[in-house]
Amino acid sequence: MTTVSNKKSRLKPWLWAAGILFIAGLAVVYYLFTLKFDDTSDVKADFTVNALSLIDEFAKDNKAANLKYSEKIVTVNGRVSEIEAADTTVNLKFTDTTTGNYAIFAFQQNDATAVKAIKAGDSVTVKGSCSGGNFSEILETTYITFKRSALIK
Amino acid sequence: MKKNFLIAALILAGGSVFAQKKTTTSGTIIFDATTSINNVAKAENKTVIASLDTKAGTVAFESSIKNFAFENPKVQEHFNSPTWLDSDKFATSAFKGKIANATQVNFSKDGTYTADVEGELSMHGVTKPIKTKATFEVAGTTIKGKADFNVNLEDYNIDGPSVGAGKIAKSPKISIAVEFK
Repeated sequence: MTTVSNKKSRLKPWLWAAGILFIAGLAVVYYLFTLKFDDTSDVKADFTVNALSLIDEFAKDNKAANLKYSEKIVTVNGRVSEIEAADTTVNLKFTDTTTGNYAIFAFQQNDATAVKAIKAGDSVTVKGSCSGGNFSEILETTYITFKRSALIK
Repeated sequence: MKKNFLIAALILAGGSVFAQKKTTTSGTIIFDATTSINNVAKAENKTVIASLDTKAGTVAFESSIKNFAFENPKVQEHFNSPTWLDSDKFATSAFKGKIANATQVNFSKDGTYTADVEGELSMHGVTKPIKTKATFEVAGTTIKGKADFNVNLEDYNIDGPSVGAGKIAKSPKISIAVEFK
């Protein structure tokens, strides 16, 4: 004959297991919702390239270049062609003046002030997360975009 | 002499025609699909290409889907995955349209103008007509444009599990800001 106290003692481990699973689930959800990207300047680059070589690589074979660089951290060296500053943003561009093709870097908020001080013609090193290259129907050029970029020097 | 004058006149005329089309490569689009249970489905793309033809009253923009930057890596991964925007397959979104009330917007006079913009938005391989109010602020040769509108994800065949479960807004808010110099 099963007594009430026996039933309770058999139920206890299951209650504990369910409670632990519930708390673990909450912890996983909390972890996923509060995940953030690391500061790009602290992330090791997958590639280091010259700006004009990178632009040329995308112009020659966009598909292959996208496979190689998309969502990779890339350090790019080159001579700045333009700084485009708006109210809250600042972007840095390297342009191949013979074709109009360009690579553009959008920066992390904490790099914005330093980037605004850069002038066209300056030689810089930037590191960013490459979003790949596309062809612009508006500008009729190939463009390569970067997000969460950091100014290295 | 006459020939030189004619060439100079043609160059000047050509220059003024081209000057009517202004472009930028640093427009911004904010994609906000946050809900009461998810406050991280929000991203910004700061490298939007946009054009404005002040004479023809046409506007256009295009953006790289992969350049929408989320704060949360997991949400960014979902956004680009085949169940959301499928950015490997549909790499860009684009809008082409015109200012329907172009006579009420004077791009050569300083001021703030409200425009009715109509056009077609292409995203996720689907093109749909869209209408929205936009504001143009003219100050000398600088024109700032802003527009906010919502897109129904279902219209663009974006109906992944996160959308169905209400984890992200079914009709996210799109905010566009451009500055033409």
